[in-house]
Amino acid sequence: MLADNAIETDGLTKIFRSLWRRREVCALDHVSLQVPRGTTFGLLGPNGAGKTTFVKTLLSCVHPTEGGARVFGHDVWETGARRPIGYLPENHRFPTYLTGASMLDFYGALSGMDAGARRRRVPELLELVDLARWGDVRLGKYSKGMLQRVGLAQALMHSPELLVLDEPSDGVDPVGRRHIREILHSLEEIGVTIFINSHLLVEVELFCREVAILHRGKVALVGKVKDLTAGKGYRLSAASVPDNLAAKLKEAAAATASNHGLMEFQFADREQVNRAIDDLRAGGAEIESVAPTTSTLEEVFFRTVQS
Amino acid sequence: MTALIVGAALIRDTFREAFARKVFWGLFGLSTALLLFFTFIMRIDVVQGATATVELFGQSVEKSIDVARFVRRIHGAISSFLYVWMMFLALFASAGLIAAIFEPGRIELLLSKPVSRAGILMGRYVGNLLVVALNTCYLVLGVWLIFGLKTGVWHSAFLGAIVATLFIFAVLLSAITLVAVLSQSAALATMVAFGLMILSAILAQRSLAERLLSSEWSRALWRTLYWIFPKVFDIGKMNMDFVQGKGLGAADPIWSSAVFAVVMLVLSVYSFSKRNF
Repeated sequence: MLADNAIETDGLTKIFRSLWRRREVCALDHVSLQVPRGTTFGLLGPNGAGKTTFVKTLLSCVHPTEGGARVFGHDVWETGARRPIGYLPENHRFPTYLTGASMLDFYGALSGMDAGARRRRVPELLELVDLARWGDVRLGKYSKGMLQRVGLAQALMHSPELLVLDEPSDGVDPVGRRHIREILHSLEEIGVTIFINSHLLVEVELFCREVAILHRGKVALVGKVKDLTAGKGYRLSAASVPDNLAAKLKEAAAATASNHGLMEFQFADREQVNRAIDDLRAGGAEIESVAPTTSTLEEVFFRTVQS
Repeated sequence: MTALIVGAALIRDTFREAFARKVFWGLFGLSTALLLFFTFIMRIDVVQGATATVELFGQSVEKSIDVARFVRRIHGAISSFLYVWMMFLALFASAGLIAAIFEPGRIELLLSKPVSRAGILMGRYVGNLLVVALNTCYLVLGVWLIFGLKTGVWHSAFLGAIVATLFIFAVLLSAITLVAVLSQSAALATMVAFGLMILSAILAQRSLAERLLSSEWSRALWRTLYWIFPKVFDIGKMNMDFVQGKGLGAADPIWSSAVFAVVMLVLSVYSFSKRNF
């Protein structure tokens, strides 16, 4: 049976401990997130929010202190669970002694592709990322943007079902960015799940259908981009919300977040927020605040991070 | 099948990196220089099973000796020299190859692939071993051929130097691997490997230590350390004795060094599997 979610984390926690200084840094604090199969998902957050640690945990580079992560229903620590993942790391250092073609061949082989499949796939991908003439050139001669494009080709070598991209547009010029976006759109059309970790809010807003904002290691907000940015809305904060009522309101809300016992719901219109207030009052919850919200993802991001 | 593809890819990548870092060509060039040295410094005229003259640097050194015995003696000395020579070169050349895979931005991508951490580490280890194996074979076979052609004596025990060199290199490489996993430092890994070589030469002087050390506990400590650490010195001596036809002797240095290598590799895989990157 196919798993509904491409990515699923349950109470994922990572605490980095320094042995010498006896210092602890909580990079991820009980992060529970579901990324449905076939969607385009953006992970946002300020520096140090835990985004890269989250991605590295998905790829088994980082051991969680608590909780777990699953990819298409498989624990990420099973070697086979990483087979459907294509990954482009941030600050990658591809071996400069390899050429573009030999790099694709090497990582394709590590993904288990046989020689024949690799021979067919390498020129296709070099063509796709507009580097067909650069296949025999060593990576040491590539510009930053070219490395990013060949890195994307590397992530696509074995036709993954889930693409995890860490800052995919880093160092890429506007033309290259659009080109990458077009490639990603074509992958989205064939059902590939795309998970992007990015600082570029505009890029995420343009491309992703769903987003989550991580702040200080916690999920501060999760929702659909179109709901979060659909004109004016209202943000309702309440405490002591009974579980059954919280579940009902989550279904009606465009986005939800939970912070220190306070639940926040984002509603698209006045009617919805008034109905929610009535339900909360009837259910014995305490309303903390109701505020109108504006619409761009950038505004949503700043509001979430500042609150 | 997949394991074969992955293993071959990791080994090929190690060779590519060795070529790119000039490690392979450095070893190859120095080996070739040594072969040329042996080709041109020694001229031997053989007359019916005995040497008429043997010349080194143009000076006649021996007359009318048995060629087979003479070549065997020379082989013994040269195999010891090659053993030390190859070990030094290989250790210098290899330490960086293991540590390189832990570079940030490179290791994450390797770990994201459906390959176990043990597989990644062992692929590099075997690749590194093969790089050195190819060069060792080239050098030892080359010297063997030169002496064979010059003297007509084909003394196959000399080829045992290949096995001895590769065995002890594999043992020291296991220590390099552990240090590289723990520290990600090629320099520190090289220092540790050379330290083990020097320590081995010191610890091998057991009979001298038994006489010089006054207390029983210090003698026991010496013996314990001797058995724990790899026997680079003893295996080198075993190799020379074997080439000179004196037999191998007790196998203790071999199995105790092999145990050291296995422990180092198990610890390497364990600490690699526990690390965050």
